[in-house]
Amino acid sequence: MSRSLIAFVGVVVTTGVAHAQDVPEVTPPSTATPADSGVATNANAPSDMGDQGIAAMLGVAGGGRSTPGGLLVAGHYYYQLSDQDWFDGSAAFVFGSGDAECFRDRMNVTLCEHGLASGYAGKLGVAARRFMPNLATETFWPFVRAGLGTALVRFPDDDITGITFSVQVGAGLRASLTEAIALTAEADLELGVGQFSNGLGGEPQLGVNISAGAEFKL
Amino acid sequence: MRFAILAILAIGLAACQSSEVSRELGARCDTSSECDDRCLMPGVDWPGGFCTTRCETDLDCQSDAACLEEEGGVCAFLCTSDPGCAFLGQGYGCKERDARGGAGTRMVCRGA
Repeated sequence: MSRSLIAFVGVVVTTGVAHAQDVPEVTPPSTATPADSGVATNANAPSDMGDQGIAAMLGVAGGGRSTPGGLLVAGHYYYQLSDQDWFDGSAAFVFGSGDAECFRDRMNVTLCEHGLASGYAGKLGVAARRFMPNLATETFWPFVRAGLGTALVRFPDDDITGITFSVQVGAGLRASLTEAIALTAEADLELGVGQFSNGLGGEPQLGVNISAGAEFKL
Repeated sequence: MRFAILAILAIGLAACQSSEVSRELGARCDTSSECDDRCLMPGVDWPGGFCTTRCETDLDCQSDAACLEEEGGVCAFLCTSDPGCAFLGQGYGCKERDARGGAGTRMVCRGA
């Protein structure tokens, strides 16, 4: 992780509650064309990206060992931080199989060898989404995102519950459909640690999330 | 920067570790609910308990295991000498036992 990325995440976390109007250089979103209104457009983000937005996403989470995986359902809330960056708050649920996959090894240490799609999780995340204008076209806007997340994890047949903390980094593509609706696809890597019950204790977390959905301007 | 890379590598490696034993074969157990199939209870024969699967032939067991003519047919790890059973812990050695279905004998890891 580069210093600039760490700094980027830090700025986002500390400024996540700031209001868009607090940032003087933000260009107010407008449905009018520059020619109509005389207002300068923001060249660093999609023209239809409002200062607030929400998204509903569906996808897959790939886990393993003690990282939950399965069907991913997520909701996002976006809040403009600068002409290029949006706060990205998310709530997500992961639905995988509930099969028992934990055991005691010969040293009497509890281990779990869950597959890619096993367990349940409820996740919360705060991240920053930065658009990449140098790679964008009028319709398609690539972005990168980085942030922090926490999750409540459950593997029912093993009777194991845990809480996890992770760093998330990812990238995606936003495609404008109308002035108020866009399609978004993104992929994230999650890396972190978790603390689990029933003798499992501390465990590393390594997962991948791939999702797509619709984004709505507020 | 170096610390971040090392932390990422450490978490990644830890997340990918696997064990020589599993719920299917070799894990410690006190009840069958701790295993995929059944638990050979802790005792002199299977110190610490031993998760196994029912079998009729060697083909019913994983590739490094054989089907024994005991307990109605159960899988156990194959071996060639006692050190090959050290991963199962104290009390395990390499013993010759009858294979299931009169298919000769097999050298397997077990207790007494």
